[in-house]
Amino acid sequence: MVEERNKMKIAITGGKGGTGKSTIATALSYKLAKTKKVLLLDLDVDCPNDDLILGIKTEKVKDVESMIPKFDYKKCVKCGLCSKVCREHAIVFVKGNFPFVIPEQCIGCKACKIACPRNAIGERKQKIGEIFTSSEGKFTLISGKMRPGIEESSLVVNAVKKFSEQYEKNYDYVIIDTAAGTHCPVISALLGCDIAIGITEPTPLGEHDLGLILKLTKNLKIQTYVIINKSNMGNKKLIENLIRKCRTEIIAEIPYSKEIEKNYSAGKPVEHESINQIARKIEQLNLSVFRNKNFKV
Amino acid sequence: MKTITILSGKGGVGKSSFAASLSIVLAEKYKIVAADCDVDAPNLGLLLGIKKFKNLKRISTNYKAFINEKIVKCKNKNKLSDICAFHAITIEEGIPAINKFLCEGCGACKLLCPEGIELRKVKNAKILETSTKYGFYLVSGQLEIGESGSGKIVEVIKEKAKRIGEKIKADFIVIDSSAGIGCQVIASVRESDFVVGITEPTPSGLNDLRRALSVVEHFKIPSGLVINKFDMNKTFTKKIERFAKEKNISILGKIPYDIRFVEALVNLTPLILYAKEYQNLFNKIKDNILSIL
Repeated sequence: MVEERNKMKIAITGGKGGTGKSTIATALSYKLAKTKKVLLLDLDVDCPNDDLILGIKTEKVKDVESMIPKFDYKKCVKCGLCSKVCREHAIVFVKGNFPFVIPEQCIGCKACKIACPRNAIGERKQKIGEIFTSSEGKFTLISGKMRPGIEESSLVVNAVKKFSEQYEKNYDYVIIDTAAGTHCPVISALLGCDIAIGITEPTPLGEHDLGLILKLTKNLKIQTYVIINKSNMGNKKLIENLIRKCRTEIIAEIPYSKEIEKNYSAGKPVEHESINQIARKIEQLNLSVFRNKNFKV
Repeated sequence: MKTITILSGKGGVGKSSFAASLSIVLAEKYKIVAADCDVDAPNLGLLLGIKKFKNLKRISTNYKAFINEKIVKCKNKNKLSDICAFHAITIEEGIPAINKFLCEGCGACKLLCPEGIELRKVKNAKILETSTKYGFYLVSGQLEIGESGSGKIVEVIKEKAKRIGEKIKADFIVIDSSAGIGCQVIASVRESDFVVGITEPTPSGLNDLRRALSVVEHFKIPSGLVINKFDMNKTFTKKIERFAKEKNISILGKIPYDIRFVEALVNLTPLILYAKEYQNLFNKIKDNILSIL
């Protein structure tokens, strides 16, 4: 039996889009994987790009499916209760007609099935996404990809998290790349992480959105550090003031450089002294300190 | 009244900056209403010079489930954890508990235990209607921290923008949507008359744009592209142009990389007012949009 490793789960997040979450998540994973076993989860299921940034080929391993109602019109008495209990308005019911479902709007909650007095609703599956993996040496990538047109990204995030659970025990680090924003798919990705790193840029927009993510991680009781990307472009004081107010710490600053941009555009992981610095900082963190404080899920 | 929605898939490619400048050039000739439909991380207000968000109205588009003491009598209580599609219910020592951060308020659990579970409306967002110093109205929203239901909040913002638009007899509603392709983007795109896809010449930029446009295609809405920072990687810009040609989507304009974009952001000034030489380019983009609309 493989000995369970004391893995550390680190979320890379930040609120604002395009601040460098995926670039840093991939670069950091690449760096850590030189000595430790690293699992990178791309949970930006709307727009997963970690494979592109690393320039690696992934293989599809699984479909993500969600339940949608299957009506048995022989049993249905056209009472319309299924439509009434559906808070997503995914079931259309016009008096005198059989109900039907709009698949893209269905979140698979099964409320209709439970509510149906005639047992006329069964289950069928709809594909809402796919899971891809790629592995090389000490590094593994698992990415979730939502099917365009589906609204509920967090269903795919949760499915990828569940899928990866079985493998996590074999790794020293699990790095989680979240989507932009602060809503459900980001919350789902953050839950269960030991620490989070908020990536921001020194603009008022970066500051504003980082402020939101720091509030969110505070509510979720996840210790969050900050990295200022493109630190030489804009006004760093904005971020420094926010950091002081939120009592956290800036663990690295990454200046804008043509070199980084070039690697990024070419689909190569970024190697930079600032990434090494982040890796060192992470290696020094004492996991037990966070574990005791964190929210149990 | 026509609705123009700006999206990109990938975050940080310049949606809000573009939306602010486009709104300003449109407002020179037309009556418009701007709507910030990125309710997770709303930035359009900041760019339009609104420093203090006053007169916020708290709204509720969502429910959450709460457990009460009658739950012990519910004979279905052990099934609750399995029924919850969002893994929000755990059962500890025979008593169910709900993780409020994961609850989507679908109400499936209440159907199993009608007495022991209450569904309560939660105030999940703040909405702001305000005039801007550029002579048009802005409707903006902010998801409350840790809440869900962003798609429905977008619908409320759109409805408000539409109502203001009807009142002032607006010609256009300009929607700045969020990153990604999920509920907020779908709610933004739905019923739009035209979509502007904005992208940058990087592998992620094109990949995410493709995904976002597949959502637009689903609704059969005409669209056009803007390539931001097009001179950063000309080979990739060519790739995007080829993609546009294949898809029969017109390129509305190409914006060069300019450090003054960042300076404009830091100064919270819309680009075309900070760097006036871009007014021609934005006017041209506007004309290109109007010629298709």
